[in-house]
Amino acid sequence: MAVSTPDAPAAGDAGAPPPGQYSGGQHDGRNRDDGGNRGGGRHGGGDHGDGDHGGGRRWRRHGHRGHGGTGGPVGGRSPLSSFAGHAVLAVLSVACVFPICWMYATSLRRPGDIYDTSLLPWPLSIGSYRHAADVIPIGQMLVNTFVVASLTALGQLLTGLLAAYAFTAWRFRGQRLLYLLFVGTWLVPFQVTMVSNYTLLFRLGLLNTLAGVVIPTLCTALGVLLLRQHMESFPKEVLEAARIDGRSSWSTLWTVVVPNLRPALAALGIVLFINAWNEYFWPSMVLQQANSMIQLGLRGFLGGTEGNDWGGIMAASGLACLPIFGLYLVLQRHIVNAFVHSGLK
Amino acid sequence: MFVELAPLVAPAEHVAVEAARPPLARRALRALPPFLYLAPGLACLLVWTYRPLVEAVQLSFYRWNLLPSRPKIPVGLDNYQQVVQLPELRHSLWLTVATILCLLPFSVLLPTIISLLTRRIRGRAGVAYRALVFAPVLVPPVASAAMWMWLLDPRHGLVDRMIGHPVNWLHERGPAQLAIIGITGWHLLGFAVLVVTAGLANINDEYSAAAQLDGATRRQITRWIILPLLSPTLVLLTLMTVLLSGQLTFPLIDALTQGGPDDATTNAYYLLWEYCFKSFNAGLASAAGLAFFLTFGLVALLLVWLFEKLSFHDN
Repeated sequence: MAVSTPDAPAAGDAGAPPPGQYSGGQHDGRNRDDGGNRGGGRHGGGDHGDGDHGGGRRWRRHGHRGHGGTGGPVGGRSPLSSFAGHAVLAVLSVACVFPICWMYATSLRRPGDIYDTSLLPWPLSIGSYRHAADVIPIGQMLVNTFVVASLTALGQLLTGLLAAYAFTAWRFRGQRLLYLLFVGTWLVPFQVTMVSNYTLLFRLGLLNTLAGVVIPTLCTALGVLLLRQHMESFPKEVLEAARIDGRSSWSTLWTVVVPNLRPALAALGIVLFINAWNEYFWPSMVLQQANSMIQLGLRGFLGGTEGNDWGGIMAASGLACLPIFGLYLVLQRHIVNAFVHSGLK
Repeated sequence: MFVELAPLVAPAEHVAVEAARPPLARRALRALPPFLYLAPGLACLLVWTYRPLVEAVQLSFYRWNLLPSRPKIPVGLDNYQQVVQLPELRHSLWLTVATILCLLPFSVLLPTIISLLTRRIRGRAGVAYRALVFAPVLVPPVASAAMWMWLLDPRHGLVDRMIGHPVNWLHERGPAQLAIIGITGWHLLGFAVLVVTAGLANINDEYSAAAQLDGATRRQITRWIILPLLSPTLVLLTLMTVLLSGQLTFPLIDALTQGGPDDATTNAYYLLWEYCFKSFNAGLASAAGLAFFLTFGLVALLLVWLFEKLSFHDN
């Protein structure tokens, strides 16, 4: 999967896991592919993509390549194609990042220089930020959004963890059907369920509350799917041993499974947090007053000024992005990994 | 937490008390734990996804304006008849399909080309590029709407200053549609590039090496080996584009154009929302929503089927 994969051949060369490694994952015929991939992936830098099936054999190939040294990809490494590659990626990177840079540049100009076109704002000024904070209660909105996103992510992790555990630790009647029920939520668009959910929230008296934003989103197929795939790679023997030791399934979950899944849980948690932070449709329906979550406040600000207050708007937008970019700067690799992985599933 | 504690307690005491019961009951008890673990998530799904789905089906046969005090008036198949006949619905459906088609270059075509051109770039530079390319995925949609509104501003925006003559991007039909697609594409592109890159990295080099030994040119290798092996990833990205396009475009439309000018950017998802919360026609919104759901659901299932079929290439 993901981003570590472009480096994966190197990882394969360095320490191709012994063939025995993946055998632990092949406990069950139907899930052989998943299991095999997972089993190897946890050791080889998380290299398990969806396009790849028949995981076990792949490792042997990698290992083989390490010894035999068939060389790099086809055609070798010509400086020209490498230069072209750099050029393409550089252009793409600028195209992707420029609007964001421009937003921060505008927000940091002095209110008088807003229409400047220099890329680096000078002299710097936080006047726009101060102005934005006067117009809308940014601090309060950021706190609200943070609370909602955290609770949503935690709830989704918990329901996902329990459901994934049920799907992996037991074989039971109706398993496939129930699993499809979880995955099927992907297909049901929000626009079909919104009327009924809206009226239910109304009846529960949860409209215009942050709880009303959080509660309907407490379970996500993504969490169940990803955690289940991680759990499939977990050796069944360990679960069996814990059971024979007389541990209840509940304590096995928290003392054996969860500590081993910590990296996966952390990565998934971050993805869910960011998704919840960026969710707009549902909060905009539940919360009528505009100044409760950052995107709604921003939307109100944007509509209210008719686009003449660009300094303030860019400052508010910049603040709306800031927590996520902060998280991204610290955990860049993991976040990209987790997102691309979740996209592949 | 309280709900989740139940599985621990319940089976233990039941087994102690009811040991004398016939084996059938005990077997049922032993089968219970997985369902208890599933319960919280399942309850959530049933209450917030499947119950509303059923209710939407019921509601689609009524006329109702969302006010709890007003009665729901049964109208039979009227709503569905309107769905088929209303020109604005048909227009929005075409617009949605067109949007999805226009997004495919951003989510499938360009990423494939870019990934093929750049697959040799690794190491620190590769990590840096990936970090930058991925950034738009993380921007909250309304913030991106704001930053693009500023870039596209007809008087002072950078885009118009660069092309030299003012285009009123968000208030003219064509430009507004272009803008919505372009911004959504900007959100998607980096992510799709990374997904395709990951898919490429999963393709074993030995196939290409063997073909090269047999005298295949690089173009032949790309066309006949790499692309077929990459096809499941591409189908997956198509599926994602189909399923996510509504979710991705809604905040942009809501913040930038409100469906205008002259309904030029009112896609199906935005129209449903308007029916529901602007014209308060819950029955029609439900009927139209179900019709769209079935249409796009079928497309999605087709893509899933295609994905499964293509996935066995690497065996």
